[in-house]
Amino acid sequence: MRYPKRRGRLPVPGRKIHLATAAMLLVATTTAACGDGQDDGAKASAPKAPATIPELTKDPLTLSFIWFEWPPAQALETFANAEYKKERPNATIKVNTVPNANWHDAMFTQFAARKTDFDIAILDSQHIGEAVTNGNILDLTDFVKTNIDVNAYNPYLLAAYGQFPQAETGQRDENASLYGLPLLGDTWTMIYRKDLIGDKPPQTWDEMISVAEKCQADHPGVSGLAFHQANGSDAAAVTYNTVNGVYGGNLWNAKERKIEGVLNDAAGQEAMNVLVTKMKPLTAKGSGNWFIDEVNAAVAQGKACIAFNWIAASGGLLDPKQSTLGTTREQILDKLGFATLPSQKTNLVPLGGMGMHVSAYSAAANQAEALNFMKWFERADIQKKWAAAGGVPSRTDALESPEFLNAGPFNQVYTDSVPRMRDMWNVPEYARLVDIENTNVNAALNGAKRPKEALDDIARDQQNVLDSSGRKGGGGL
Amino acid sequence: MAVSVNEAVSPGPVQDHPPPARRSSGRGRAMLEVALLTVLAVVMLFPVLWMIETSIKENRDVYAVPAKFFDFEVTLDHYRDVFIASGGGRSALSVSFLNSVIVAGVSTVLATVLGVPAAWAYSRFTLRAKKDQLFFILSTRFMPPVVVVVPIFLMYRYVGLIDTALGLILIYTAFNVPFTIWMMKGFVDEVPAEYEDAAMLDGYTRLQAFRKFTLPLLVPGIAATAVFALIFSWNEFVFAIFLTSSENVRTAPPAIAGLIGGTTVDWGLVAASSVVFALPVLIFAYLVRKHLVAGVTLGAVRR
Amino acid sequence: MSSPVHLSTGRPGQEAPATPPAPGRTSRLSDRGLAVAFISPALLLLLAMSVFPLLWALYLSFTDYSATRGDAPQFVWFGNYTAILTSAQVHLRALTTLIYVVGAVGLQTLLGFTIAYLISRRTRGRGLLTTLFLVPMMLSPVVVGLFWRFMLDAQFGVINSMLGSLGLGQVEWLTRQRTALISLIVVDTWQWTPFIMLIALAGLTAVPKYLYEAASIDRASEWFRFRTITLPLVWPLLLIAVLFRAIEAFRLFDLVYILTSGGPGVSTETLSFHVYKVAFLGFNTGTASAYGILMVLVVIVLTQLYLRYLSKLKED
Repeated sequence: MRYPKRRGRLPVPGRKIHLATAAMLLVATTTAACGDGQDDGAKASAPKAPATIPELTKDPLTLSFIWFEWPPAQALETFANAEYKKERPNATIKVNTVPNANWHDAMFTQFAARKTDFDIAILDSQHIGEAVTNGNILDLTDFVKTNIDVNAYNPYLLAAYGQFPQAETGQRDENASLYGLPLLGDTWTMIYRKDLIGDKPPQTWDEMISVAEKCQADHPGVSGLAFHQANGSDAAAVTYNTVNGVYGGNLWNAKERKIEGVLNDAAGQEAMNVLVTKMKPLTAKGSGNWFIDEVNAAVAQGKACIAFNWIAASGGLLDPKQSTLGTTREQILDKLGFATLPSQKTNLVPLGGMGMHVSAYSAAANQAEALNFMKWFERADIQKKWAAAGGVPSRTDALESPEFLNAGPFNQVYTDSVPRMRDMWNVPEYARLVDIENTNVNAALNGAKRPKEALDDIARDQQNVLDSSGRKGGGGL
Repeated sequence: MAVSVNEAVSPGPVQDHPPPARRSSGRGRAMLEVALLTVLAVVMLFPVLWMIETSIKENRDVYAVPAKFFDFEVTLDHYRDVFIASGGGRSALSVSFLNSVIVAGVSTVLATVLGVPAAWAYSRFTLRAKKDQLFFILSTRFMPPVVVVVPIFLMYRYVGLIDTALGLILIYTAFNVPFTIWMMKGFVDEVPAEYEDAAMLDGYTRLQAFRKFTLPLLVPGIAATAVFALIFSWNEFVFAIFLTSSENVRTAPPAIAGLIGGTTVDWGLVAASSVVFALPVLIFAYLVRKHLVAGVTLGAVRR
Repeated sequence: MSSPVHLSTGRPGQEAPATPPAPGRTSRLSDRGLAVAFISPALLLLLAMSVFPLLWALYLSFTDYSATRGDAPQFVWFGNYTAILTSAQVHLRALTTLIYVVGAVGLQTLLGFTIAYLISRRTRGRGLLTTLFLVPMMLSPVVVGLFWRFMLDAQFGVINSMLGSLGLGQVEWLTRQRTALISLIVVDTWQWTPFIMLIALAGLTAVPKYLYEAASIDRASEWFRFRTITLPLVWPLLLIAVLFRAIEAFRLFDLVYILTSGGPGVSTETLSFHVYKVAFLGFNTGTASAYGILMVLVVIVLTQLYLRYLSKLKED
């Protein structure tokens, strides 16, 4: 090297660079501080929607939704454009979709930007807390009071997709605020091979496991079970939560915000053991990263005796083009049965589905249109039409209507499951909590952690997240 | 700091140098080497061939176990699905391809327009702390995208650039400018400064000398550099997925990634769109094959 | 155009006794003006798009700011940094990243150099071979990730199918702790071996012929020739390639996102992936900024090393 000392000393220009750096830092700090001042203006609680729908525009208007990429999104767009246009010819419905793995991030980065390209966010029920706490969605309490017949619903459905703080007891709190209305109801259905295990679905969890065991032994190449195990989205977490519920466990004590000692109590441990030592061995090799699509593929390829999947995602199973089970819908239905989940100590099933939530950052005209849309959507006749179009409605009359029950073989399952539902925490920390649970359950399922270790880790880490509000620095690690 | 290995290794045309040396053990060894090379080539190329094969298979053959290598029905349906939506009309994928063309194209042009003059200036003039400047420029290119995306996101939200094509164009330009400067500086270094000096003696200004004499000589280099910038923007995923969300802005990589994770996975469609997506890059890469070494090292290593 | 003339490429940092390039009509001053006019737009863009955001991140890294919660940032000073540096979670990711970087870059170097060496010894079909080998490198990480995920699928993936035909059992490529990280390394190696190969080939084909001729007159053994002639001449170039790859591998995110999304558990979560989770799942922007700044420091050190070797290469 000819200039060995080059990097050792700072030449004069170097000092200038330092000065410039300092100046930039100052500018950055000030700008950021000013920007944050702006933030303070936006109250950290949800702005209220008016009780009555403001006058609607007569100009052409596009009402945008955001959802993730799956058939119901397409169904909604088609349905709404066909039906809503009859009422509001100047309105066009656009359902933006993002990959499922990116769904939460896509909505909340836009919320964080205080600017959304959607007017109605289709939030997962558990996202409500985060959105409400940050003031991202409108408070619909007054709007619901004057526009929606709350008695037409199972109260828990209204609570699950709209209420915050959450309805822990499974009962709606009449005095709590509402931030959303149901769009698509959902729960798990048990999908079983009638030709392999018989027409009658197993009734208890234990029975289900032994039937699957026998089926797997009798039919080489077909695995006993298929269910969600992936560590993305809420896949593995919902699976554990379901087993946890069935075996009488609790996810937390909401009043005291306690997870440690509640989740990993004896019932929780038993559920984890059942999942890892009894259910996992009945699944296909390498199924440890399966989610909705892989489970569907396994069923369609005839590789699973019993599978669990979201009802709203099961429509593709009846498509002969994607199935090896038959060349017509009828042939496939000869082989596939759909049933409510077996029960054990309790009969709880996971609550899925999503509600509609109005973005606090969309234009006034669009917010008015959004409210009008929601009022329209929750009408009895529209709910039945939505059911006929392939959607899952929430109004009790629609759920019990022939339009719904005849629209798909799994719809009866949904109607029967409604009184049995339980949801996860919808606290603002949801995204972190579910990630902790996902990764640890996934680790346990794939042998990277022992079941007890995984469950204790979940309880400890989740408790840390709930308790970390007062800590200085390092949040989110 | 003309980073060039011209001094380290002899330049000039590639020669078939290695010695045939010993004839005695030569034949057997040569065959062994060819065999080894063949095996390695098959391993490296198999995934690509498999991708092409999957893209022309019916979906039920895609999942077949054991895998079908030859006896399957050929279909071009997946390629149709890439461009045409199931109900007719343009598919979301084809819109994303178009977005990719716009974003990659504009950011490449911008990076070239900004980078080439800068590269020329860095090559020709003695500047203060030039080495520091060049180091600074290069290090911005090496920033982990996931790290950059956080403050960029905060910045964009104040200026309203989130979920816009312009936002993506700007960040891709910012990532491509350092590359363009480094790569082009190498090309400019190879054009003797005397050309310009001579022109200036003839009465041209330096700017005119640059435009009239140096720039034409740089065209092949600019083309090669632009192609690399284009490939980077075309393939980029991290910024695209975090800074955009709506379908009319989304570029192809997140759109293709979004094909999985729904309720069913159409691997035939994934394969077909991957092939369509990769094809332009392969063609462009082939066009600039002579400059590949320089291109992949940000112009740092030249031959 | 391989003229070795590098006239005014300037000694770094030299204050330059200013020999005007030509006594033409242009003065030294207008040269400077021209330089400023040509360089400043590019630099301004970089300042706005790289430096400014990073300084902003630096400021936020000392706070508990969250991009979604909208409260004003409270200073926690080095709280984020100490939390990150002492976090067992971070250490785990650092270890994963280290194993990945060393494994992937090591394997690529070995394979890439081997291929380059083999190609350089062929006389025919070299251009075609090189071009074919380069294909993986040109693909988007998205395409590479998706496709390998398909091929590595334990049930219907073609890899297990072939293993099955050979009478070997199914391997859970993506869902076991060890195999998942190995798969990640393999896929990265598949994509980037061509990179090393390309650069090694550049070095190998440039080894002056006369050196070999001299050696073969001396009847030196093949291995001896390789060790004393080939390797020393190619080594500096190879080092550049390795460092370059190390920097890139250190930043790895997209392949993980698509291939394993960090699983099983968190066993393939790299530092980049962890930053993403901190930044976008919990929106702990302050922590994520500190985490990012620490990663940038590592990158800067690696870049320094890279440049140092480059300069050395030039001066040798």
